[in-house]
Amino acid sequence: MIKKNSSTPLYVATAVIALALLMGFAFRRPYAFRGATINPPLPVPDFSLVTANGQSFRLSDQKGKIVLLFFGYTSCPDVCPITLGTFKQVYDRLGANAQKVRFVMMTADPDRDTPDKVAAYAARFNPEFIGLSGSREKLEGVWQELGVFVEKQDSGSAAGYLVSHTASVYVLDQNGRLLMTWPYGTSAIDMANDITQILKQSEQE
Amino acid sequence: MEVYTKNIKWIPALLLAILFVSACGKTGEFKVMDAWARPAASGDNGAVYFIVSNATDTDDRLLSVSTDVASAAEVHMSMMDSNGVMSMQMQEAVPIPAQQEIIFKPGGLHVMLIGLSQDLKIGDTISLTLNFGAAGSITVQAPVEEQ
Repeated sequence: MIKKNSSTPLYVATAVIALALLMGFAFRRPYAFRGATINPPLPVPDFSLVTANGQSFRLSDQKGKIVLLFFGYTSCPDVCPITLGTFKQVYDRLGANAQKVRFVMMTADPDRDTPDKVAAYAARFNPEFIGLSGSREKLEGVWQELGVFVEKQDSGSAAGYLVSHTASVYVLDQNGRLLMTWPYGTSAIDMANDITQILKQSEQE
Repeated sequence: MEVYTKNIKWIPALLLAILFVSACGKTGEFKVMDAWARPAASGDNGAVYFIVSNATDTDDRLLSVSTDVASAAEVHMSMMDSNGVMSMQMQEAVPIPAQQEIIFKPGGLHVMLIGLSQDLKIGDTISLTLNFGAAGSITVQAPVEEQ
């Protein structure tokens, strides 16, 4: 009698766990991207900008790679290093898959940021990170296509003018289409998970 | 079940005790804690973060900042609007109200070091003097860290 009573809770617990597992399986949802997805993905017109040592960087040459585009400027001490620091963690989390991704910082301040300067700035976080600059006209073309806001701001700071800029990361798929944006503050874990999912989906296609 | 309800009675008392102890421990102190600087290259700009804890009964203000490692040091605040556009705004003076903690952190309030005269490398420590209206000058040591 006593034996039977004491084992009843165990049966109940087992049944509850089994049911929970079953329900979890039955109602398993498909992966939800952390970024704000663009549906259908938006083809980005090709552009060519300049990176270190005068080398050109053309978007269409990156076909087959996921391109992460971030807009910033090298005089920025707070937000831009935060995002590049997050990129660095994403790179480390991805392991071998990091080779399937281009991490790019495009300047929002072409008047002060030469290609070499942006390239050196990005490379300080990871030698494989790419920094881009070019003529204001060319950069403005990219900003407009992607809806990136950039504005110089007279601040009274000893640093001269500051630049207000969209701080989101733009995620382009392996065919140069804008797939989603990650708002500022998206964690490295979420970015890495989204990238892993993009890679998984492209393998299935 | 009985044990559970018995325990729950103690929770308010426990919370009160925690509040009491934490309030007592800090009374009267004005301090700057947990300072750290972000790695940056000579000639570039840098950022320093810390917590100002004002447990006194006097409202205070951070008026200015100085350091030997840069040509200027200013207090800035990064702010993002609803469209995801990030801006920095220079702060004239930062209020540090009585019995409050003001946190300088990435993506928010920070000290901007302008024109660094040296590389800030992980493992380095820089010295920063914060000038407050009431508390006077406080010099802190900020290790260069990646956070």
